[in-house]
Amino acid sequence: MPSYKLYYFNVRSRAEVSRLIFAAAGEKYEDVRYEQDEWPAHKDEMPLGQIPVLEVDGVKLPQSRTIARYLAKQFHLAGKDNFEQAKVDAVVDTIYDLLNAFATPFFEKDEAKKEELTKKFLSEELPKHLQNFETLGKLYGNGGHFFVDNQLTWADLLFYNYIQSFMEFKADCLNNFPWLQQNRAEVEKQPKIAEYLKNRPNLQF
Amino acid sequence: MSSGDLKFYYFDLQARGELTRLILAAAGRSYEDIRFGFDKWPEYKPKMILGQAPVLELADGTQLPQSLTIARYVAREAGLAGSDNLESAKIDAVVDTQKDVNETYFSKVFPEKDETKKAEELKKFLDETVTKHVENLGKLKKAYSKDEKYFVGDKLSWADLFVFQSIQALLQAVPEVKGKFGEQFKPLMDAINGNENIKKYLDARPQTAF
Repeated sequence: MPSYKLYYFNVRSRAEVSRLIFAAAGEKYEDVRYEQDEWPAHKDEMPLGQIPVLEVDGVKLPQSRTIARYLAKQFHLAGKDNFEQAKVDAVVDTIYDLLNAFATPFFEKDEAKKEELTKKFLSEELPKHLQNFETLGKLYGNGGHFFVDNQLTWADLLFYNYIQSFMEFKADCLNNFPWLQQNRAEVEKQPKIAEYLKNRPNLQF
Repeated sequence: MSSGDLKFYYFDLQARGELTRLILAAAGRSYEDIRFGFDKWPEYKPKMILGQAPVLELADGTQLPQSLTIARYVAREAGLAGSDNLESAKIDAVVDTQKDVNETYFSKVFPEKDETKKAEELKKFLDETVTKHVENLGKLKKAYSKDEKYFVGDKLSWADLFVFQSIQALLQAVPEVKGKFGEQFKPLMDAINGNENIKKYLDARPQTAF
């Protein structure tokens, strides 16, 4: 039985999908959360000077996506064979494309430009990606409400986490996407996840 | 195994398609390498699962989008993705790290139209991003490799092919990057260039702008 230690800041962001995976699987781990002023002292302990990092029996893995995929595979939340895992990966990559598209307005310093870019993102980019998620869910989901083969995978958990953040900007963004609404509802209903959501720190992003 | 059971759709470019072609070459796997120019894209786009390329299509017509997902899938099929979950994860970590740098180049340097600004961004990319990246790759290799050539364990993986392809592509676009990589990747580059299957593919592949 390996021992797991997850290092990150005290936010959801790039580590929350891994915390959700541990919760869904009912698996134990040490959930190390650094405050901003603590981090500099630990930076050199991490392979690339970045977090999140997962430590598995002393081996450190960087890169949030890699960490989540590794944990999902350990706990059978990644798809049951290579092809299913690839479908899950395809959904995951599409979610990250959406995040990258959001980075442009999010990091814009000029206030007027930021407002323009954010509006464009919310009215064009976001619906386009949401439509892509529905396409993938309907093609891969095997008639169910989870993205791949009618089973919970980390693609559902990742989607759940990041859409929560988008809903802070636009609460009604899933209004035209009933399949996606149902997908999130299914995730929230899972008993271990419901328990985790109830007890986790209330963090904005 | 007939080539009809696997179709790879991409532009007649290296860019986001070449890694998968290299993996399939290393594996000696036959497939239909469907390449098209930008002028033909409007014909293909509606047939692609998310209206994007590359796409991998299996014999039963199911399509996979997303270049790195496709690469990981064919790598796993070919035994080039690690022998257990932790090795696969170490490989993914190297891939993600290389990907971050490629994305920096493609978002900050490549699209810049203003010549002066482009030169500035390129200098920053070479002096800061690439310098740090070469250090990072070295650290990962030290932590994960059991070999002087390969990044993870002691055999070729798709992480090696991704770094190989990325360095080659960058050298073609920005020859001045050559000195930044030093000697530390020479054993890897030599091993890949010398791999029989890969050499055959590299000798025969079309020359493209990027």
